[in-house]
Amino acid sequence: MNLLQALRYFFREALVNLGRGFRVSVLAILTIAVSLTLGGVFLLASRNLSGAVERWRAETRVVIYLKPDTPPAEVERLAAEARQAAGVRSVQPVSAAAARQRFRDLFPSLSGLVEGLGQEPLPASLEVALAETPGGKALPKDLAAWLDGWRRRPEVSMVDDDREWLRQVETLVAVVRGVGLALGLVLLGAAIFTIASVIRLTAYLHHEEISILRLVGATEFFIRGPFYVEGLLQGVLGAGIAVAGLYGAYHLVHARATASLLAAMLATDFLGGRQIAFVILLGAAAGLLGAVASLRRESL
Amino acid sequence: MIQFFHVSKLYPGGQAALSDLTFDIPRGQFVFLTGASGAGKTTLLKLIFREEVPSEGQIVVNGRNVSSIPPGKIPFLRRSIGVVFQDFRLISRKTVFENVSYLPRILGLDAKTQRAVAYQALRRVGLAHRMNAFPEQLSGGEQQRVAIARALINDPEILIADEPTGNLDPDLSQEILRLFLEVNLRGTTVLLATHDRDTIERVGRRVVTLEQGKLVSDVELLGKDPPRLEAAEERPTEDLRPQLPSSPAGRPGPPEDTSA
Repeated sequence: MNLLQALRYFFREALVNLGRGFRVSVLAILTIAVSLTLGGVFLLASRNLSGAVERWRAETRVVIYLKPDTPPAEVERLAAEARQAAGVRSVQPVSAAAARQRFRDLFPSLSGLVEGLGQEPLPASLEVALAETPGGKALPKDLAAWLDGWRRRPEVSMVDDDREWLRQVETLVAVVRGVGLALGLVLLGAAIFTIASVIRLTAYLHHEEISILRLVGATEFFIRGPFYVEGLLQGVLGAGIAVAGLYGAYHLVHARATASLLAAMLATDFLGGRQIAFVILLGAAAGLLGAVASLRRESL
Repeated sequence: MIQFFHVSKLYPGGQAALSDLTFDIPRGQFVFLTGASGAGKTTLLKLIFREEVPSEGQIVVNGRNVSSIPPGKIPFLRRSIGVVFQDFRLISRKTVFENVSYLPRILGLDAKTQRAVAYQALRRVGLAHRMNAFPEQLSGGEQQRVAIARALINDPEILIADEPTGNLDPDLSQEILRLFLEVNLRGTTVLLATHDRDTIERVGRRVVTLEQGKLVSDVELLGKDPPRLEAAEERPTEDLRPQLPSSPAGRPGPPEDTSA
């Protein structure tokens, strides 16, 4: 029997086995689907959060808020001084009047809050765009020291560094990824165990047939092949269901992306082709591993 | 063809099933293996096709030392031996065709050839018309014949049968026995285990007798009323032989399995 014939036979027998043990097969498939769906949710969240972080990183700025009543000329002088620092890409001075106008543009319904107060309610500021840092991570030490220097200056009331909270979001993404990985591995272990049990049960149900196959001269490859393919199919089917479920969930959340910041953060993009292939391969590997584990010590 | 050299078989607990057996069955011989229940007949048969391993001694089957054969080679040994079990060992959820065509499927024959070969084997036992029936739809005798067809489908070099007539009525027993004798006439070595002394005395042939695991006699008997096989010999043998691929020696046999 050549390999092609053997594979055809294995798939046919595996499909028959799946049909015969339909309920337990469904159980195994659903177990792997649930574990991969949960793992996939974390993968999807992690992907989208990482994407959001990258987008935000491109927009991050350091805003140096100046004391009230800082004259416009002084604002311009400080901006010019800031531009001289290494690692600074650009400095945009924003006068108190410009800040008030921007507030009115961004929040028209709240524009009354900044009107008729007699003096400018919002401080002037310097919006500093920093040069890309390697990997977009922490600021270089000298730049951090430079920002600390600004914090101590008498003209400055506050320095707001977007990168601080961006680092917090990155930590959150790492946590999400780690939790997802750990949870996914635990659930995948459970799925492998379930598949192994189902395959062992199938092998037990076919014990008589297997003994006859062996007595008429079937090789171990021929006998075990259908069980390996059965595990593989269960894994692939479970993974397929997981990907379909994830896609459905993604669509539901994505539809709310305009109304919810969280939805926008979590469901901007679906998994990429490589990631889908990874989930499918993971399912296949789990199914195959379950089958191999179940028959490893089994004399059949 | 089959050689036993001081073979003993102990079961767990130390119970001796066979003790120091030494005998030789030449190619093409028909041998009755007899003895009371528990004498060790079934164990001896299982040793030949390596379902059991001897505790001591060596067994050589068709030039291969069965006692030390690597596990990967066992399937190839078994493909040269047709086995008919006392309890038939048919799969109830498989049709007669499926039960019979295990070996052609293992050998990778295409579906059309599988069907043709199964048909020939079933025709040989007179059951070609029941290919699509399930075992439970057959009588005991028919089930026995299906088991024989499965054993003969590869035209094996050795045919082993364990009490093949034990559950059958006398007429059917005779028919089955005639079939084994016909197979033997075509060159297959036949080893038939039975405790039916009447059949042995009527048919004759070599008789090996076991008693409590020991070989107590090995004689040639002249049959009192051997079946007439002339009619069988007149049949067109080409039609009776399964159309499996031929071995280099010209004898139909299994091709090498590349899947192992």
